[in-house]
Amino acid sequence: MNLILFTFIVLLGFTSYYFGRKKAYTIQSTKKRLTALPQFYGYYLAIWCAIPAFIIFSLWAIFEPTIVKLLILSDYSNQGYLDDELNLIYEKTKALSRGQFTGEITPFIEASAEKYLSLRSIAQSSKVVIVLSAIIASVAYAYKRISSNSRTREPVEKFLNAVLFTASLAAILTTVGIVFSLIFQTIDFFKVIPLFDFVFGTHWYPAKAFVRDSSEALDPTMYSDTFGAVPIFAGTFFIAFIAMCVAIPIGLMSGIYLAEYASTKVRQYAKPLIEILAGIPTVVYGFFAALTVGPFLKELGTSMGLEVSAESALAAGGVMGIMIIPFISSLSDDVITSVPQSLRDGSYAMGATKSETIKRVIFPAALPGIVGSILLGVSRAIGETMIVVMASGLAANLTLNPLESTSTITAQIVVILIGDQAFGDPKTQAAFALGMSLFLVTLCLNIVALRVVKKYREKYE
Amino acid sequence: MRKNGVKMIKIKAKDVDVFYGKKQALFNISLDIEENQVTALIGPSGCGKSTFLRCLNRMNDVIDICNVKGEILINDFNINDKSCDVVRLREKIGMVFQKPNPFPKTLYENVSYGPTIHGMAQSKQEMDEIVETSLKKAALWEEVKDRLHEPGTGLSGGQQQRLCIARAISVRPEVILMDEPCSALDPIATAQIEELIDELKKEHTIIIVTHSMAQAARVSQNTGFFHLGQLIEHGSTDKIFKNPDNKKTQDYITGRFG
Repeated sequence: MNLILFTFIVLLGFTSYYFGRKKAYTIQSTKKRLTALPQFYGYYLAIWCAIPAFIIFSLWAIFEPTIVKLLILSDYSNQGYLDDELNLIYEKTKALSRGQFTGEITPFIEASAEKYLSLRSIAQSSKVVIVLSAIIASVAYAYKRISSNSRTREPVEKFLNAVLFTASLAAILTTVGIVFSLIFQTIDFFKVIPLFDFVFGTHWYPAKAFVRDSSEALDPTMYSDTFGAVPIFAGTFFIAFIAMCVAIPIGLMSGIYLAEYASTKVRQYAKPLIEILAGIPTVVYGFFAALTVGPFLKELGTSMGLEVSAESALAAGGVMGIMIIPFISSLSDDVITSVPQSLRDGSYAMGATKSETIKRVIFPAALPGIVGSILLGVSRAIGETMIVVMASGLAANLTLNPLESTSTITAQIVVILIGDQAFGDPKTQAAFALGMSLFLVTLCLNIVALRVVKKYREKYE
Repeated sequence: MRKNGVKMIKIKAKDVDVFYGKKQALFNISLDIEENQVTALIGPSGCGKSTFLRCLNRMNDVIDICNVKGEILINDFNINDKSCDVVRLREKIGMVFQKPNPFPKTLYENVSYGPTIHGMAQSKQEMDEIVETSLKKAALWEEVKDRLHEPGTGLSGGQQQRLCIARAISVRPEVILMDEPCSALDPIATAQIEELIDELKKEHTIIIVTHSMAQAARVSQNTGFFHLGQLIEHGSTDKIFKNPDNKKTQDYITGRFG
C-alpha cells in the first residue's frame, strides 16, 4: 500500500514537472519574458509536490506506531501491569494481527489485535487522504505562483542547496552517532575494568570472561589480568609496520615508475593491472596468507633452521602490505603526474637527469600527497581484520618476533563479538573499548597527517 | 662579439626538420647565431619558433613523439649526435621559460640547484658566492638578500622570472634560451628583464622567442622570422625591421597578419 502511494506521488511529481514547464511555455507564447528557464518552472512545481508528501510521510512514520501503541495499551491501564509486561502484550498483539502468534490466545489479546488492525487501517487511509490533499493544495498554490510568473529559479536553487546540505549532514550525524555509541559502552566498560589495567596491562585473555555465568554477580577482581591491551596494540602496530615496510617502498617506486618512466603503452596496461590488486576481497588475501604464504614461510624457515609459526605476523603483515601497494602506488602516481610539467622542464633545462629531477624537484613537490597516500595505507593496515584473523592467529602474544603469531585490535574485536554475547557484559563492552581506542588512534594519525601536509603545503606553495 | 670584424658564430643550425608524430613542425631550418649577441625569433603563434628554440638544448627529447633531424652545431659540435651528453649540453645552454617556474624550494635552493647537480661548488662558501653573483647578475640580489631561505614561489611574477634567470646563469652557461620570458609579466617587470638581457649578452649568447615586435626591436641585434614552420628571413634586426627582403616579413612586421 505504501509502495503504491509512493509510486503515485512520484508520478504526480513528474506530472507536475511537466505541467509546470508547459505553463512556462504558455507564458512565453504570450510574449512575456520568463523569470527563469522553463524547466525551473517544472522543478518548482515538482518540489512543491514532493515536500508536503515527504513531511507527512515522515511524521507518520515517526508518530503512527507510538500513537497506535498508546491507544491499544490504554485498554490495559489501571490494571497494574508493569512496563515490561505492557510491552510484551503489545508485541503479542502485533504478532497475532500478523498471524504469527503461537502462544495461547486470550480474548483480551484477540480484542486488542482486532483493534490494532482497525487502527492501522484508519491510520493508513487517513494518511492517503492527508497526503493527497496536501499535495493538491500545495501544487495548486505553486501553480498559481507560476501563473503570475513570479520567481522560480531562486527557490529551486535554495532547495538544491538544502538537499545537498542534508546529505552532508547525514554523513556527519552518522559519524557522531557511531562515536557516541562507542563512548557510552566504553564508559561502562571502564566502570568495571580500571583504565590503567586496560592501557598498561600486558595480558590479554578475554576467554576468561567467557566462562562467567551471567547470573553471578559481577566481580571486577576476576577480570584483573584479563583485559590488558598492550599485547594487541603492540601486535596491531607491529603488523601494520611490517605491512608498510612492504607497501611503502614497492608502492612508491611503482608509482614513480608509472608516473615518470613508463611509456604510455606500459602505463596503459600496468596501471589497471596494479589496481586489480585493490579489487581483491580481503578474505581472499586472508586465505592466500594463511594457506600459501604462511606454510611457505614455515618451510623456508625450517630449511634455514629457524622456528617459524604457521600463523606468523610476517605472513599477515607481508600479505597486508601487498594489499596496500595499489593504494600507495596509484595515489602517488596521480600526485606525481599532477606536478606541473613546467617544473620538470625547468629541472631538465638545468641539465638535471631524470632521477635528479625526481629526487630534488618532483618528490618534494608531491610530498604532501605522497604522505597522504601513505597515511591512508597505514589506516588501512591498522583497520584490516580478515588477513590477521586468518593468517596471524588469535593468541595475543606480546612479541616482536615476526615469526611468531600475534593478534591485532580488529581481530580481537571479531573474537569477542562472534557467537552469543550479552550486552552489558564486560566481554562485549571490551569490543567497544577496543573500537574506541582504534578510533582514537586513527583520529590522531589523521590529525598528524593533516598537520604534516599543511606544513609542507605552506613551505612548497 | 666581432673579432677583427669577423662575426663569431656560436650556433649553426643546418637543415633542421622537426616532426611531432607524423606532423612536420619545422622545415629545413638553417640559421647561424652570433656569439654574445641577442637573436630574436619572431613569428605568429604556432610557427615553430619555440620548437626551434627547444631543439637547441634538446628539450624536445622530453616529448616522446617529437623527432628532430638535421645538424645543430654548437662550438662546431653536433648536439644531435649520439655522442652528445645531454646533461653537459644543458649545463652549457640555459633556458628561461614563458611562465616563471621556480621550484617549490627556497630562493637559495632554486639558484644553487644547477651548481649542486653539476658539482660546481666545493664548499658552502663557494655556493654562497655563486648564489650571490647569480642573483646580482639577475638584478634580484638587493630585493631578496634578506630572505634567501623563503620559498621562491612567494615572489612576484617579475621577481620569479628574474629568479629563473638567476637559476639559469648560476651554472655560467654559454648560451641562454628565452621562450617568451616576458609574456606573463607587466610592463615594468618586462622593462627590467629587457634591461637585464642587454646586460647578460656581454657574457652569454642569447636567443629570445618573442611575440612582441617592439621587444624584438628593442633587445635584439639579429632577428629570424618564422612562418608556418619555415624560416622566412633572418638578418640583422635593423634590416629585418626597416628593409626586409621578403614580402611576408614586411607584412608581419607592419602588422598586416599574425
